[in-house]
Amino acid sequence: MTRQLFEGIKVLELGTMVGVPYSGKIFADYGADVLKVEPLEGDPSRSEGPFLKDIPNKETSALFLHLNTNKRSITCDLSTASGKDIVRSLIDSYDIVIENFNPGTLESLGLGYEAVTSNRTDLVMGSLTSFGQTGPWKDFKGSELVLQAMAGPMHMNGDPTKEPIKLGGNLAHYHAGLSLTYACILARLRVERGGSGDHIDQSVYEAQAGFRDRRAPGLTSASYTGRSNKRGGSLGRTASGPRPAKDGYANIMAGTSKHVPAFLRLIGREDLAEHPDAKKPATQMSTTFIEEMEASYAIWLIDRTKREAVAATQSIGILGGAILTVEDLLNDPHYQERNVWEEVEHPETGSIRYPGRHFVTSGATRKQMKRAPLLGEHTFSVLTDMGYTNSDIVQLRRAKVV
Amino acid sequence: METKQETPTKSDLPLDGVKVAAITVVWAGPHCTQVLAEWGAEVIRVEPINAIQPYSRGAERIAPREQLIEMANNGITLSAYPDFEPGDEPWNRNPGFNSHSRNKKSMACNIMTSEGKQAFLKLIKEVDVLVENNVPTTIEKAGITYDTLKKINPRLIMLRMPAYGLSGPYKGYRAFGTHVEAMIGHHYLRGYPDGTPDQTGEAFTADAFAGLLGATVITAALRYRDLTGEGQQIEMPLAEGFLSNLGEFILDFEMNDRVAGPQGNTHHSHAPHGVFPTHGIDQWIAIDVSEDSEWRTLCEVLHADLLQKDTKFATQLSRFNNRDALHEELAKFTVEYDKNELFQQLQLAGVCAGPVMDDVELLSSPQLINRGFFEELDSPVIGNYRYPGIMTKWINTPNKLRTAPPRLGEHSEEIYKELLGYSDLEYKELLEQGHVGDRYPDHLLPEFLRAPQ
Repeated sequence: MTRQLFEGIKVLELGTMVGVPYSGKIFADYGADVLKVEPLEGDPSRSEGPFLKDIPNKETSALFLHLNTNKRSITCDLSTASGKDIVRSLIDSYDIVIENFNPGTLESLGLGYEAVTSNRTDLVMGSLTSFGQTGPWKDFKGSELVLQAMAGPMHMNGDPTKEPIKLGGNLAHYHAGLSLTYACILARLRVERGGSGDHIDQSVYEAQAGFRDRRAPGLTSASYTGRSNKRGGSLGRTASGPRPAKDGYANIMAGTSKHVPAFLRLIGREDLAEHPDAKKPATQMSTTFIEEMEASYAIWLIDRTKREAVAATQSIGILGGAILTVEDLLNDPHYQERNVWEEVEHPETGSIRYPGRHFVTSGATRKQMKRAPLLGEHTFSVLTDMGYTNSDIVQLRRAKVV
Repeated sequence: METKQETPTKSDLPLDGVKVAAITVVWAGPHCTQVLAEWGAEVIRVEPINAIQPYSRGAERIAPREQLIEMANNGITLSAYPDFEPGDEPWNRNPGFNSHSRNKKSMACNIMTSEGKQAFLKLIKEVDVLVENNVPTTIEKAGITYDTLKKINPRLIMLRMPAYGLSGPYKGYRAFGTHVEAMIGHHYLRGYPDGTPDQTGEAFTADAFAGLLGATVITAALRYRDLTGEGQQIEMPLAEGFLSNLGEFILDFEMNDRVAGPQGNTHHSHAPHGVFPTHGIDQWIAIDVSEDSEWRTLCEVLHADLLQKDTKFATQLSRFNNRDALHEELAKFTVEYDKNELFQQLQLAGVCAGPVMDDVELLSSPQLINRGFFEELDSPVIGNYRYPGIMTKWINTPNKLRTAPPRLGEHSEEIYKELLGYSDLEYKELLEQGHVGDRYPDHLLPEFLRAPQ
């Protein structure tokens, strides 16, 4: 018996922009039935871009197309009584609701967790906000930049003589969306094993404070010592760290590794390989030795592509990576061989490659990815399935409910 | 199988009764088992005491106090023990390790030895999940691939988290976070728009995603097993777990052939959008304005009448087009303010802004403290300290950290005897062989930790 990982789970997404749509995408890409409820003008990410040929179009925003694969979409105006009725009935037939309204908004619409669980115990509601449902800052505004600054590792990213910089893209919101999916599938597991659902309160702020890559460890160090990580900190840069190669940059941990003699032979400095400093830790090497090694390394590296240099140093056990651009990623032989990209057909963009699977399972199956829905593409079919007649739907359209 | 059979109640943790074995190093694997343990799983760390497992408890780079203080002065607190004091057992006092290992158990076991492998295979019969994130060949050499283990326990869920995959040209590539960061396209993107990649810092991402995603997939696989009776292997390379986070850049390239450059603090339409200096040394506030009304409020709070009247900055589009000048002008105002006071003033007036907080400052965040994010744990070898806690709240399921980070080998006796059925005599033999215990042998330790001759 084979099935997809999230098969049989119904997820209703009342989400916009990145966090909740990414949470919904993980469910949808692995077999859950995800229905997205959009405002009449669409999820704001449809207006965010980047767009095909840079022409604003609600059907060609890269951000939206990527985050909403495998979902269905209906539009619905939640400020109308009939709109609320539609969503309330939908919630009643779904297992998981994920949403990112400001704290208190769903309650004011009569769709809060208490209201929609008056007749059932098995609903899982996952709420994502900037700062959480409670606390002195719950109504403050958050954004990718501001939340990374306040709780992420921004304080340690960048040059100490310049301003700190954020991590790329929308990472804080992707991460928080993933954390929301984790909580929701945990709660769903409890429900399917006979327990109750729950209302999950995920903030981007706390997801950043618990971020594994240096933030949680840094907070622990700070608790232990009263000291903080800072920009410019490094575990050693002697012939290590990002350096210019023929076609970009390579980050190879050569001079600070145990393999300095082998490295020196590799770059054609057999003479230096025999030098006593070659066996010392980088902190104890003489300045002249370091200068000679650095100079020869620079010449060797600039003559090779970043991937060639990394392949050569990896072959003698040295850790390293090529600093790849998005174009490099898409042309990379490793990712191609592992089929991580997936062609997805769309009426506006044609067939283009998307990031496909995140992992490989030996049991559960996965289906070909389906493009993101057009705005309101499934409104008619969803309402029909709910029992609305054609004339009901015409009326709802006229009243600008759907 | 020890899977809980009785009906869970509302406040039960969802993974109560789930047993997890972990052979994990560095960040990603340990983070995965951290979040599994937080939601109820019993996580057993399988770790050698007769060899040093690198990048785990920091035992391969034990440093004396003075050196750690010097590193902290240079901005690195990665190995900073409580009060910088290594103590007699520094491997139990490492902050990187202790920030993920709370709630876990430690079982001394070296899977590369015959007695260790024997114990490990017994353990595999008793657990639901195995998590590992070693170089792929380590698991192959130890002879514990999924094909072998599933014969012992067909219900086993095994998560493997190599850097790049169990196949492909980069299968054998060795990497730290900083190298994976390069190969997933993120290092290039997170630099200064006018800078080079060597100006970024040691701030990475793929471990945080892979750990959480691994736990998510394990939970889904437990559900799959409830429905089908079958376990499975999950192969989740750090690199592949991360790539979808760059989806908008990848699709932009596919649609428009555009190769996104280093992004820094830029935004494609908001202005101002950046980090501005405030009063003091290296103090900053992030400000993100997405509407004209927000801009006017910002000017009012800063008493920046001239900026507000400047037609160059009147609309979102004109501010965006003149953003370099805008940012330069704005900095002249923000630098007069304390970042925390300005943050409160701006947010109360409705402007999206927040201070850049270092690790020490974040420990005093009123919001985190109000929500009980930090929790204290006491341990005789560490002391009583606060730790970053659980990053998700469930309104009807109160959840707390349960136990302090485990000392090396702390739970060996309990696990060997009670879970694996070793007799007192068999256990004593392992102790005498130096296979179990709570300390690395002297010859693996720096001189200052060895027993006096």
